[in-house]
Amino acid sequence: MSILESLENYLLTEIAVGLGKKTLGPDEDLLELGIIDSLGLMKLISFMEEDFGISIPDEEVIPENFQSLNCMAKLVELQVQN
Amino acid sequence: MDFSLTEDQVTFKKSAIEFAEKVLNKGAKEREKNREFNQDGWEKCAEFGVQGLSMPEKYGGLGMDIMTCVVTMEALGYACRDSGLLFAINSHIWTCESPIQKFGSEYQKDKYLPSLCNGSLKGGHAMTEADSGSDAFSMKCRAEKKGDRYIINGTKLFITNAPIADLLLVFAVTDPKKGFAGVSAFIVEKGFPGFSVGKPLELMGLKTSPIGEVILQDCEVPEENLLGKEGAGGAIFNSEMEWERSCLFATHVGAMAKDLEDCIRHVNEREQFGKPIGKNQAVSHKIAEMHVRLELSRLALYKVAWLKSQGKRAPVESAVAKLFVSESYVQNCMEALQIHGAYGYSTEMDFEKNLRDAIAGKIYSGTSEIQKNIIASLLGL
Repeated sequence: MSILESLENYLLTEIAVGLGKKTLGPDEDLLELGIIDSLGLMKLISFMEEDFGISIPDEEVIPENFQSLNCMAKLVELQVQN
Repeated sequence: MDFSLTEDQVTFKKSAIEFAEKVLNKGAKEREKNREFNQDGWEKCAEFGVQGLSMPEKYGGLGMDIMTCVVTMEALGYACRDSGLLFAINSHIWTCESPIQKFGSEYQKDKYLPSLCNGSLKGGHAMTEADSGSDAFSMKCRAEKKGDRYIINGTKLFITNAPIADLLLVFAVTDPKKGFAGVSAFIVEKGFPGFSVGKPLELMGLKTSPIGEVILQDCEVPEENLLGKEGAGGAIFNSEMEWERSCLFATHVGAMAKDLEDCIRHVNEREQFGKPIGKNQAVSHKIAEMHVRLELSRLALYKVAWLKSQGKRAPVESAVAKLFVSESYVQNCMEALQIHGAYGYSTEMDFEKNLRDAIAGKIYSGTSEIQKNIIASLLGL
Protein backbone atom coordinates (compact mmCIF):
# COMPACT_ATOMS: atom_id res chain seq x y z
CA MET A 1 0.00 0.00 0.00
CA SER A 2 1.40 3.43 -0.94
CA ILE A 3 1.76 6.25 1.61
CA LEU A 4 -1.20 8.01 0.02
CA GLU A 5 -3.42 4.91 0.18
CA SER A 6 -2.40 4.18 3.74
CA LEU A 7 -3.24 7.74 4.83
CA GLU A 8 -6.56 7.70 2.96
CA ASN A 9 -7.49 4.38 4.51
CA TYR A 10 -6.69 5.61 8.03
CA LEU A 11 -8.58 8.87 7.56
CA LEU A 12 -11.67 7.12 6.21
CA THR A 13 -11.76 4.43 8.88
CA GLU A 14 -10.63 6.40 11.95
CA ILE A 15 -11.09 10.13 11.46
CA ALA A 16 -13.87 10.72 8.93
CA VAL A 17 -16.17 8.07 10.40
CA GLY A 18 -19.83 9.00 10.03
CA LEU A 19 -19.20 11.69 7.40
CA GLY A 20 -20.33 9.43 4.56
CA LYS A 21 -17.04 9.75 2.64
CA LYS A 22 -15.97 6.69 0.66
CA THR A 23 -12.90 8.21 -0.98
CA LEU A 24 -10.71 11.27 -0.51
CA GLY A 25 -9.14 13.14 -3.39
CA PRO A 26 -5.37 13.58 -3.12
CA ASP A 27 -5.71 17.38 -3.18
CA GLU A 28 -9.04 17.70 -1.39
CA ASP A 29 -8.80 20.34 1.38
CA LEU A 30 -9.41 18.23 4.48
CA LEU A 31 -9.14 21.21 6.82
CA GLU A 32 -11.71 23.37 5.03
CA LEU A 33 -14.04 20.36 4.79
CA GLY A 34 -13.74 19.94 8.56
CA ILE A 35 -12.63 16.31 8.19
CA ILE A 36 -9.63 16.85 10.49
CA ASP A 37 -10.24 18.60 13.80
CA SER A 38 -7.70 19.19 16.58
CA LEU A 39 -8.24 15.80 18.26
CA GLY A 40 -8.29 14.09 14.89
CA LEU A 41 -4.95 15.68 14.10
CA MET A 42 -3.43 14.29 17.30
CA LYS A 43 -4.63 10.81 16.32
CA LEU A 44 -3.39 11.24 12.78
CA ILE A 45 0.08 12.32 13.92
CA SER A 46 0.35 9.31 16.25
CA PHE A 47 -0.66 7.04 13.35
CA MET A 48 1.83 8.63 10.94
CA GLU A 49 4.68 8.39 13.44
CA GLU A 50 3.97 4.75 14.25
CA ASP A 51 3.01 3.47 10.82
CA PHE A 52 5.80 5.14 8.88
CA GLY A 53 8.42 5.05 11.66
CA ILE A 54 8.98 8.78 11.58
CA SER A 55 9.03 11.63 14.06
CA ILE A 56 7.06 14.76 13.22
CA PRO A 57 8.42 17.83 15.00
CA ASP A 58 5.83 20.21 16.48
CA GLU A 59 7.16 22.93 14.18
CA GLU A 60 5.93 20.87 11.19
CA VAL A 61 2.38 20.60 12.52
CA ILE A 62 1.13 23.43 10.32
CA PRO A 63 -1.85 23.59 7.94
CA GLU A 64 0.19 23.30 4.74
CA ASN A 65 1.48 19.89 5.87
CA PHE A 66 -1.98 18.48 6.71
CA GLN A 67 -4.24 20.23 4.24
CA SER A 68 -4.54 17.28 1.85
CA LEU A 69 -3.41 13.70 1.38
CA ASN A 70 -0.70 14.88 -1.02
CA CYS A 71 0.65 17.37 1.56
CA MET A 72 0.74 14.65 4.24
CA ALA A 73 2.45 12.18 1.90
CA LYS A 74 5.12 14.80 1.10
CA LEU A 75 5.66 15.39 4.82
CA VAL A 76 6.07 11.65 5.41
CA GLU A 77 8.54 11.31 2.54
CA LEU A 78 10.54 14.26 3.86
CA GLN A 79 10.67 12.88 7.40
CA VAL A 80 11.60 9.40 6.13
CA GLN A 81 14.56 10.98 4.28
CA ASN A 82 15.58 12.83 7.44
CA MET B 1 12.12 3.32 31.81
CA ASP B 2 14.44 4.56 34.53
CA PHE B 3 13.04 7.18 36.88
CA SER B 4 15.95 7.28 39.29
CA LEU B 5 17.29 10.75 39.94
CA THR B 6 20.93 11.67 39.39
CA GLU B 7 23.02 13.01 42.24
CA ASP B 8 22.82 16.49 40.66
CA GLN B 9 19.03 16.29 40.49
CA VAL B 10 18.80 15.25 44.15
CA THR B 11 21.10 18.12 45.15
CA PHE B 12 19.17 20.65 43.08
CA LYS B 13 15.89 19.44 44.50
CA LYS B 14 17.19 19.90 48.04
CA SER B 15 18.45 23.38 47.28
CA ALA B 16 15.07 24.33 45.73
CA ILE B 17 13.29 23.15 48.89
CA GLU B 18 15.65 25.14 51.12
CA PHE B 19 15.29 28.19 48.90
CA ALA B 20 11.47 28.07 48.92
CA GLU B 21 11.22 27.48 52.68
CA LYS B 22 13.59 30.35 53.45
CA VAL B 23 12.52 32.91 50.90
CA LEU B 24 9.00 32.39 49.54
CA ASN B 25 6.75 31.80 52.53
CA LYS B 26 7.16 34.92 54.61
CA GLY B 27 3.89 36.91 54.57
CA ALA B 28 2.08 34.26 52.50
CA LYS B 29 -1.04 34.34 54.69
CA GLU B 30 -1.35 38.12 54.45
CA ARG B 31 -0.87 38.08 50.70
CA GLU B 32 -3.57 35.40 50.42
CA LYS B 33 -5.99 37.58 52.40
CA ASN B 34 -5.15 40.63 50.34
CA ARG B 35 -5.05 38.81 46.99
CA GLU B 36 -1.58 40.21 46.56
CA PHE B 37 0.94 38.96 44.02
CA ASN B 38 4.37 38.16 45.51
CA GLN B 39 6.58 40.42 43.39
CA ASP B 40 9.55 39.92 45.70
CA GLY B 41 9.10 36.13 45.49
CA TRP B 42 8.95 36.39 41.70
CA GLU B 43 12.26 38.26 41.65
CA LYS B 44 13.88 35.84 44.10
CA CYS B 45 12.72 32.90 41.98
CA ALA B 46 14.27 34.53 38.93
CA GLU B 47 17.57 34.97 40.81
CA PHE B 48 17.44 31.29 41.76
CA GLY B 49 16.86 30.44 38.09
CA VAL B 50 13.30 29.13 38.20
CA GLN B 51 11.97 31.24 35.29
CA GLY B 52 14.87 30.11 33.11
CA LEU B 53 15.04 26.48 34.25
CA SER B 54 14.51 24.88 30.85
CA MET B 55 15.88 27.72 28.72
CA PRO B 56 19.25 27.52 26.92
CA GLU B 57 22.17 29.16 28.71
CA LYS B 58 22.69 31.60 25.81
CA TYR B 59 19.47 33.33 26.87
CA GLY B 60 20.38 33.30 30.56
CA GLY B 61 18.61 30.04 31.38
CA LEU B 62 19.92 27.01 33.26
CA GLY B 63 19.42 24.63 30.32
CA MET B 64 17.93 21.91 32.53
CA ASP B 65 16.42 18.71 31.10
CA ILE B 66 12.72 18.06 31.60
CA MET B 67 13.19 15.59 34.47
CA THR B 68 15.15 18.21 36.42
CA CYS B 69 12.41 20.76 35.67
CA VAL B 70 9.77 18.36 36.97
CA VAL B 71 11.79 17.56 40.09
CA THR B 72 12.40 21.27 40.75
CA MET B 73 8.72 22.09 40.40
CA GLU B 74 7.94 19.21 42.73
CA ALA B 75 10.38 20.70 45.26
CA LEU B 76 8.79 24.15 44.97
CA GLY B 77 5.31 22.65 45.34
CA TYR B 78 6.50 20.86 48.46
CA ALA B 79 8.08 23.84 50.16
CA CYS B 80 6.31 26.97 48.86
CA ARG B 81 3.01 27.81 50.54
CA ASP B 82 2.16 30.42 47.89
CA SER B 83 0.69 28.27 45.14
CA GLY B 84 -0.55 31.38 43.31
CA LEU B 85 3.06 32.44 42.78
CA LEU B 86 3.98 28.99 41.45
CA PHE B 87 0.95 29.04 39.16
CA ALA B 88 1.96 32.45 37.78
CA ILE B 89 5.54 31.30 37.21
CA ASN B 90 4.50 28.09 35.49
CA SER B 91 2.13 29.96 33.18
CA HIS B 92 4.96 32.35 32.38
CA ILE B 93 7.34 29.50 31.54
CA TRP B 94 5.17 26.99 29.72
CA THR B 95 2.65 29.21 27.92
CA CYS B 96 4.93 32.06 26.86
CA GLU B 97 8.66 31.57 27.30
CA SER B 98 8.82 27.93 26.18
CA PRO B 99 6.74 28.37 22.98
CA ILE B 100 8.83 31.39 22.00
CA GLN B 101 11.96 29.28 22.46
CA LYS B 102 10.49 26.40 20.47
CA PHE B 103 8.62 28.18 17.68
CA GLY B 104 10.12 31.67 17.68
CA SER B 105 12.37 33.34 15.11
CA GLU B 106 15.91 34.28 16.13
CA TYR B 107 14.72 37.89 16.36
CA GLN B 108 11.90 36.91 18.75
CA LYS B 109 14.16 34.72 20.89
CA ASP B 110 16.87 37.38 21.16
CA LYS B 111 14.34 40.09 21.92
CA TYR B 112 12.24 38.33 24.56
CA LEU B 113 13.92 35.28 26.08
CA PRO B 114 16.71 36.94 28.12
CA SER B 115 14.20 39.20 29.91
CA LEU B 116 11.69 36.37 30.39
CA CYS B 117 14.49 34.24 31.90
CA ASN B 118 15.70 36.91 34.32
CA GLY B 119 12.13 37.75 35.32
CA SER B 120 12.22 41.39 34.25
CA LEU B 121 9.42 40.55 31.80
CA LYS B 122 6.36 38.56 32.78
CA GLY B 123 4.43 36.49 30.26
CA GLY B 124 1.39 34.33 29.79
CA HIS B 125 -0.98 33.36 27.02
CA ALA B 126 -4.45 34.48 26.02
CA MET B 127 -6.60 31.68 24.62
CA THR B 128 -9.89 31.39 26.52
CA GLU B 129 -12.89 33.52 25.60
CA ALA B 130 -16.34 33.91 27.13
CA ASP B 131 -17.86 31.42 24.67
CA SER B 132 -14.82 29.23 23.96
CA GLY B 133 -13.38 27.39 26.94
CA SER B 134 -13.06 23.65 26.41
CA ASP B 135 -13.91 24.19 22.73
CA ALA B 136 -10.89 26.46 22.56
CA PHE B 137 -10.53 26.66 18.80
CA SER B 138 -14.04 28.02 18.31
CA MET B 139 -12.71 31.41 19.37
CA LYS B 140 -14.08 34.63 17.92
CA CYS B 141 -10.90 36.73 18.22
CA ARG B 142 -9.75 37.68 14.70
CA ALA B 143 -6.42 38.80 13.29
CA GLU B 144 -6.33 40.46 9.91
CA LYS B 145 -3.16 41.23 7.98
CA LYS B 146 -2.93 44.88 6.89
CA GLY B 147 0.36 45.86 5.33
CA ASP B 148 3.22 45.02 7.64
CA ARG B 149 1.03 44.37 10.69
CA TYR B 150 -1.86 42.35 11.98
CA ILE B 151 -4.94 43.99 13.44
CA ILE B 152 -6.42 41.89 16.25
CA ASN B 153 -9.93 42.26 17.61
CA GLY B 154 -11.44 40.21 20.41
CA THR B 155 -11.74 39.74 24.17
CA LYS B 156 -9.99 37.06 26.18
CA LEU B 157 -11.14 35.90 29.60
CA PHE B 158 -9.57 34.14 32.61
CA ILE B 159 -6.09 35.01 31.44
CA THR B 160 -3.44 34.05 33.98
CA ASN B 161 -0.96 36.87 34.66
CA ALA B 162 -2.93 39.34 32.49
CA PRO B 163 -2.89 42.12 35.12
CA ILE B 164 0.90 41.85 35.57
CA ALA B 165 2.05 40.59 32.16
CA ASP B 166 4.40 42.53 29.91
CA LEU B 167 3.62 40.29 26.98
CA LEU B 168 1.08 37.61 26.12
CA LEU B 169 0.82 35.00 23.41
CA VAL B 170 -2.53 35.87 21.92
CA PHE B 171 -4.34 33.25 19.85
CA ALA B 172 -6.55 34.59 17.07
CA VAL B 173 -8.20 33.32 13.91
CA THR B 174 -6.40 34.29 10.71
CA ASP B 175 -8.33 31.96 8.39
CA PRO B 176 -11.92 31.24 9.52
CA LYS B 177 -12.42 28.60 6.78
CA LYS B 178 -9.86 26.24 8.31
CA GLY B 179 -11.23 25.73 11.82
CA PHE B 180 -8.49 24.95 14.35
CA ALA B 181 -5.91 25.09 11.55
CA GLY B 182 -6.82 28.71 10.93
CA VAL B 183 -5.66 29.84 14.37
CA SER B 184 -2.38 31.73 14.73
CA ALA B 185 -0.34 32.90 17.73
CA PHE B 186 1.01 36.42 18.22
CA ILE B 187 3.44 37.89 20.72
CA VAL B 188 1.58 40.94 21.98
CA GLU B 189 3.28 43.48 24.22
CA LYS B 190 1.20 45.39 26.74
CA GLY B 191 2.22 48.69 25.13
CA PHE B 192 0.93 47.83 21.66
CA PRO B 193 -1.85 50.20 20.52
CA GLY B 194 -5.30 48.72 21.19
CA PHE B 195 -4.20 46.35 23.98
CA SER B 196 -5.76 46.72 27.41
CA VAL B 197 -6.44 44.64 30.51
CA GLY B 198 -9.64 44.61 32.54
CA LYS B 199 -9.97 44.33 36.31
CA PRO B 200 -8.39 41.30 38.03
CA LEU B 201 -10.96 38.53 38.53
CA GLU B 202 -11.79 37.21 41.99
CA LEU B 203 -11.57 33.44 42.19
CA MET B 204 -12.22 30.76 44.80
CA GLY B 205 -8.51 29.93 45.12
CA LEU B 206 -5.11 30.85 43.70
CA LYS B 207 -5.77 34.27 45.18
CA THR B 208 -2.19 35.49 44.84
CA SER B 209 -2.14 34.76 41.11
CA PRO B 210 -3.47 37.74 39.13
CA ILE B 211 -6.01 36.64 36.51
CA GLY B 212 -8.01 38.94 34.28
CA GLU B 213 -9.61 39.93 31.03
CA VAL B 214 -7.70 41.09 27.96
CA ILE B 215 -9.26 43.42 25.44
CA LEU B 216 -7.85 43.72 21.93
CA GLN B 217 -9.46 46.58 20.05
CA ASP B 218 -7.86 47.14 16.67
CA CYS B 219 -4.70 46.03 18.41
CA GLU B 220 -1.71 46.58 16.11
CA VAL B 221 0.84 43.79 16.11
CA PRO B 222 3.92 43.99 13.85
CA GLU B 223 4.12 41.03 11.42
CA GLU B 224 7.44 39.98 12.95
CA ASN B 225 5.50 39.16 16.14
CA LEU B 226 3.58 36.31 14.50
CA LEU B 227 4.86 33.21 16.32
CA GLY B 228 5.60 30.39 13.90
CA LYS B 229 3.65 30.44 10.66
CA GLU B 230 0.05 31.45 10.08
CA GLY B 231 -2.13 28.55 11.20
CA ALA B 232 0.46 27.17 13.61
CA GLY B 233 -1.58 28.27 16.65
CA GLY B 234 -3.08 24.81 17.15
CA ALA B 235 0.31 23.11 17.19
CA ILE B 236 1.75 25.77 19.49
CA PHE B 237 -1.17 25.46 21.89
CA ASN B 238 -1.05 21.64 21.98
CA SER B 239 2.70 21.69 22.54
CA GLU B 240 2.30 24.23 25.39
CA MET B 241 -0.34 22.08 27.03
CA GLU B 242 1.78 18.92 26.93
CA TRP B 243 4.59 20.74 28.75
CA GLU B 244 2.32 22.53 31.19
CA ARG B 245 0.50 19.30 32.04
CA SER B 246 3.87 17.79 32.99
CA CYS B 247 5.66 20.55 34.81
CA LEU B 248 2.92 22.67 36.38
CA PHE B 249 1.29 19.59 37.88
CA ALA B 250 4.60 18.54 39.40
CA THR B 251 3.98 21.34 41.93
CA HIS B 252 0.81 19.45 42.95
CA VAL B 253 2.79 16.27 43.51
CA GLY B 254 5.14 18.22 45.78
CA ALA B 255 2.22 19.72 47.68
CA MET B 256 0.66 16.27 48.08
CA ALA B 257 3.92 14.98 49.57
CA LYS B 258 4.02 17.85 52.08
CA ASP B 259 0.36 17.37 53.06
CA LEU B 260 0.92 13.65 53.56
CA GLU B 261 3.91 14.27 55.83
CA ASP B 262 1.84 16.75 57.87
CA CYS B 263 -1.01 14.24 58.12
CA ILE B 264 1.25 11.38 59.24
CA ARG B 265 2.81 13.59 61.92
CA HIS B 266 -0.63 14.73 63.08
CA VAL B 267 -2.23 11.27 63.32
CA ASN B 268 0.75 9.97 65.30
CA GLU B 269 0.68 12.91 67.74
CA ARG B 270 -3.04 13.59 68.09
CA GLU B 271 -4.64 11.37 70.73
CA GLN B 272 -8.35 10.74 71.19
CA PHE B 273 -9.93 8.02 73.33
CA GLY B 274 -6.49 7.32 74.83
CA LYS B 275 -4.55 6.53 71.66
CA PRO B 276 -3.13 8.25 68.58
CA ILE B 277 -5.89 8.67 66.00
CA GLY B 278 -3.64 6.97 63.42
CA LYS B 279 -4.18 3.69 65.26
CA ASN B 280 -7.76 3.70 63.96
CA GLN B 281 -8.08 2.00 60.57
CA ALA B 282 -10.61 4.63 59.51
CA VAL B 283 -7.70 7.10 59.68
CA SER B 284 -4.74 4.91 58.73
CA HIS B 285 -6.52 3.75 55.56
CA LYS B 286 -6.97 7.38 54.55
CA ILE B 287 -3.21 7.83 54.94
CA ALA B 288 -2.53 4.69 52.90
CA GLU B 289 -4.85 5.89 50.12
CA MET B 290 -3.22 9.33 50.11
CA HIS B 291 0.16 7.65 49.73
CA VAL B 292 -1.06 5.48 46.84
CA ARG B 293 -2.42 8.54 45.02
CA LEU B 294 0.83 10.44 45.61
CA GLU B 295 3.03 7.60 44.36
CA LEU B 296 0.92 6.97 41.25
CA SER B 297 0.74 10.68 40.49
CA ARG B 298 4.51 10.94 40.66
CA LEU B 299 4.97 7.89 38.43
CA ALA B 300 2.50 9.21 35.85
CA LEU B 301 4.35 12.54 35.68
CA TYR B 302 7.79 10.97 35.59
CA LYS B 303 6.66 8.76 32.70
CA VAL B 304 5.67 11.86 30.71
CA ALA B 305 8.99 13.51 31.55
CA TRP B 306 10.88 10.38 30.51
CA LEU B 307 8.98 10.12 27.19
CA LYS B 308 9.64 13.77 26.42
CA SER B 309 13.30 13.41 27.38
CA GLN B 310 13.45 10.68 24.70
CA GLY B 311 12.06 13.17 22.19
CA LYS B 312 8.75 11.32 22.04
CA ARG B 313 5.27 12.73 21.89
CA ALA B 314 3.13 12.07 24.98
CA PRO B 315 -0.45 13.23 24.29
CA VAL B 316 -2.19 10.32 26.04
CA GLU B 317 0.33 10.09 28.86
CA SER B 318 0.23 13.82 29.62
CA ALA B 319 -3.59 13.75 29.62
CA VAL B 320 -3.52 10.73 31.95
CA ALA B 321 -1.04 12.47 34.26
CA LYS B 322 -2.94 15.75 34.29
CA LEU B 323 -6.24 14.02 34.98
CA PHE B 324 -4.89 11.72 37.67
CA VAL B 325 -2.72 14.27 39.48
CA SER B 326 -5.38 16.97 39.59
CA GLU B 327 -8.13 14.62 40.76
CA SER B 328 -5.80 12.97 43.29
CA TYR B 329 -4.68 16.32 44.68
CA VAL B 330 -8.28 17.32 45.37
CA GLN B 331 -9.00 13.98 47.03
CA ASN B 332 -5.86 14.20 49.17
CA CYS B 333 -6.71 17.77 50.18
CA MET B 334 -10.18 16.63 51.26
CA GLU B 335 -8.69 13.79 53.30
CA ALA B 336 -6.02 16.02 54.87
CA LEU B 337 -8.72 18.49 55.89
CA GLN B 338 -10.90 15.71 57.34
CA ILE B 339 -7.98 14.13 59.23
CA HIS B 340 -7.24 17.49 60.88
CA GLY B 341 -10.91 17.99 61.81
CA ALA B 342 -11.83 21.51 62.93
CA TYR B 343 -8.17 22.54 62.69
CA GLY B 344 -8.18 21.45 59.06
CA TYR B 345 -11.27 23.56 58.35
CA SER B 346 -9.73 26.57 60.06
CA THR B 347 -7.99 29.22 57.98
CA GLU B 348 -5.18 29.15 60.55
CA MET B 349 -3.86 26.09 58.76
CA ASP B 350 -3.28 25.67 55.02
CA PHE B 351 -5.56 22.71 54.31
CA GLU B 352 -8.67 24.65 53.31
CA LYS B 353 -6.55 26.95 51.13
CA ASN B 354 -4.89 23.95 49.51
CA LEU B 355 -8.31 22.48 48.70
CA ARG B 356 -9.49 25.73 47.11
CA ASP B 357 -6.29 25.92 45.07
CA ALA B 358 -6.44 22.22 44.12
CA ILE B 359 -9.94 22.45 42.66
CA ALA B 360 -8.66 24.87 40.03
CA GLY B 361 -6.35 22.13 38.76
CA LYS B 362 -9.37 20.14 37.59
CA ILE B 363 -10.33 23.06 35.36
CA TYR B 364 -7.26 24.82 33.96
CA SER B 365 -5.01 23.30 31.26
CA GLY B 366 -8.08 21.44 30.02
CA THR B 367 -10.79 20.19 32.35
CA SER B 368 -10.85 16.62 33.65
CA GLU B 369 -13.63 15.92 31.15
CA ILE B 370 -11.52 17.17 28.24
CA GLN B 371 -8.60 14.98 29.37
CA LYS B 372 -10.96 11.99 29.25
CA ASN B 373 -12.06 13.03 25.74
CA ILE B 374 -8.41 13.19 24.63
CA ILE B 375 -7.60 9.81 26.17
CA ALA B 376 -10.69 8.12 24.72
CA SER B 377 -10.17 9.64 21.30
CA LEU B 378 -6.53 8.58 21.14
CA LEU B 379 -7.53 5.08 22.21
CA GLY B 380 -9.58 4.89 19.02
CA LEU B 381 -13.02 5.91 20.23
